[in-house]
Amino acid sequence: MRLEDSSPGRATMTLGGAWVLAHLTETLPRAVDPAVSPGTLQLVGRASVLDSAGALAIARQVARWEEGGWRVDMTSLPESQHKLIALLKSRLPDMHLPSAKREGALARLGRATVDKLVEGNAFLGFIGELVSRGGRLLLVPWRIRWREVVAEIEAAGLRALGIVGLLSFLVGMVMAYQAGATLQDYGANVLIVNLVGIITLREMGPLLTAIIVAGRTGSSYTAQLGTMRITEEIDALRAIGIPPFDILILPKVIALILVMPLLAVFANLMGLLGGSVVAAYRFEVSFAVYFDRLPEVVDLTTLMLGLIKMPVFAIVIALIGCMQGMRVAGSALAVGRATTISVVQATFLVIVIDALFSVLYNLLGY
Amino acid sequence: MSETTASLSGIRNCFGSECVHDGLDLALPSGRITALVGGSGSGKTVLLRTLAMLHEPDAGSVELFGVDAGRCGERRRRELREGIGMLFQGGALFTALTVLENVMLPLQEHTRLRGAWLKELAMSKVLMAGLPADSAGKYPAALSGGMVKRAALARALALDPGLLILDEPTSGLDPISAAAFDALVRELTDSLGLTVIQATHDLDSIWRGSDQVAFLARKRVLAMAPAAELARRDEPELAAYFRGSRSAEYAKLHAGLPTED
Repeated sequence: MRLEDSSPGRATMTLGGAWVLAHLTETLPRAVDPAVSPGTLQLVGRASVLDSAGALAIARQVARWEEGGWRVDMTSLPESQHKLIALLKSRLPDMHLPSAKREGALARLGRATVDKLVEGNAFLGFIGELVSRGGRLLLVPWRIRWREVVAEIEAAGLRALGIVGLLSFLVGMVMAYQAGATLQDYGANVLIVNLVGIITLREMGPLLTAIIVAGRTGSSYTAQLGTMRITEEIDALRAIGIPPFDILILPKVIALILVMPLLAVFANLMGLLGGSVVAAYRFEVSFAVYFDRLPEVVDLTTLMLGLIKMPVFAIVIALIGCMQGMRVAGSALAVGRATTISVVQATFLVIVIDALFSVLYNLLGY
Repeated sequence: MSETTASLSGIRNCFGSECVHDGLDLALPSGRITALVGGSGSGKTVLLRTLAMLHEPDAGSVELFGVDAGRCGERRRRELREGIGMLFQGGALFTALTVLENVMLPLQEHTRLRGAWLKELAMSKVLMAGLPADSAGKYPAALSGGMVKRAALARALALDPGLLILDEPTSGLDPISAAAFDALVRELTDSLGLTVIQATHDLDSIWRGSDQVAFLARKRVLAMAPAAELARRDEPELAAYFRGSRSAEYAKLHAGLPTED
């Protein structure tokens, strides 16, 4: 834009060049001011190319002149360019930007606290719903959706065998290494069986299983239900007259209660096996000795003390996974966030509950 | 036909053994609104996706702004993409971003604009698409169906595309909003010199909102002409479409044809 001539009360600006997005830079083009007292300003010439970004820049400039008291005449511009600039100028007053509200620290603390309380309340509500609805359905067990239960058992149990088995085997090996390294100094290699046996059955097998299930299955519950919430599938189920709780949540809870003790038994087995391999090849405790001694140091009680925790873990994992999924609202982003929260909460609670069990067992003298 | 912004020639699109297009030719005249019409499953969306370089045709070539899109390098294809604005059927707004941020995203990616100026330009698109200013800060989840379409249009317009591809822009809108949307597309086409192709079932958009109609049938563009002209033709597909019970009134009104029954 070039100032052609100016005299008090009159000025002419020539428009030229390409006014397109690609040529515009970080900042608005600087204001050009006819440094004379205001009057009529005539805009002449033509832009070789003009797009809406360029037109907006010109419209801004025109508005600035008008603020300065000028009357801007654009009628000499080509009609299409004149119209586009006028169109954008007419919308300028609305272009004030919505300012982002930022809350103070106290407000955020309050909001976080309330959110946590609401979430805790929702979890209690969920447990209540499980007891009342699930309890009622248990009286008429043929109305439980067993087909869904079986499908969930396959997904959460059968398909988890590989990873649960492998990780348990490895942890069994690691424990045997650590135990053996110390016991070797005292020539008490054979006590590896005691250590690995008891720790695996009472703690590592069940805990490892629960953590794997929380990460693998609990997260998939949240992602599945969360996505179904966003695509309105859950509402569709309600509209058709199928309670989402019956068809989506209860089968998951039942399936996990059934499958997690079994997974833990499998994890125990693989853990003991892993320990035996290290004991045999590294610490000269042969397989025969290892499995001969095993029944002497662990008994059914040891096994049960581990397995008894599994249904509790199952309920916690399934409920947290489902609750976080059902609380999803809004966007795809919320599904990801809910899945993270679900895994963190479930893992956290599993470990806390495991610790509580240990204290309880200790008090009871086991 | 003076100038063409985009053209397809000899396009074949197959899914498995099923071909939706075979030997399809289409040329979009610059500065015009072309309606893409055809029965359900006739491949309207696939055709638009082919045009937008989102779908590789099994055979044939896509020419955009005079460049053969199938034969140029990745860099050139990127530049071509900047010249295309696409409005997806469901809007496809990014749910994690506000309306304004949705519009700002292509601008941030492809221009050197920053800060207030960037926001203001994005805001101008939001307003041009006919949205109220306060909707700019809202997330897509908080918008009504019509507002989602408008926000999607604002994003499609962000880079001042030469070619605007609209996939069922007025579906799911009430007649008043649909008419307003048609008027908006017309106004933008005239003032920004856009070339527009819209797949649509909306009879109003076909008869009043478009300069010409490309009719998809028999796996190709069977005919391309203003609606009133197509309504007079005697191919069975065209007759069924333009003189069937729902179109009859339009045919009578705009083409002076007697109704069939």
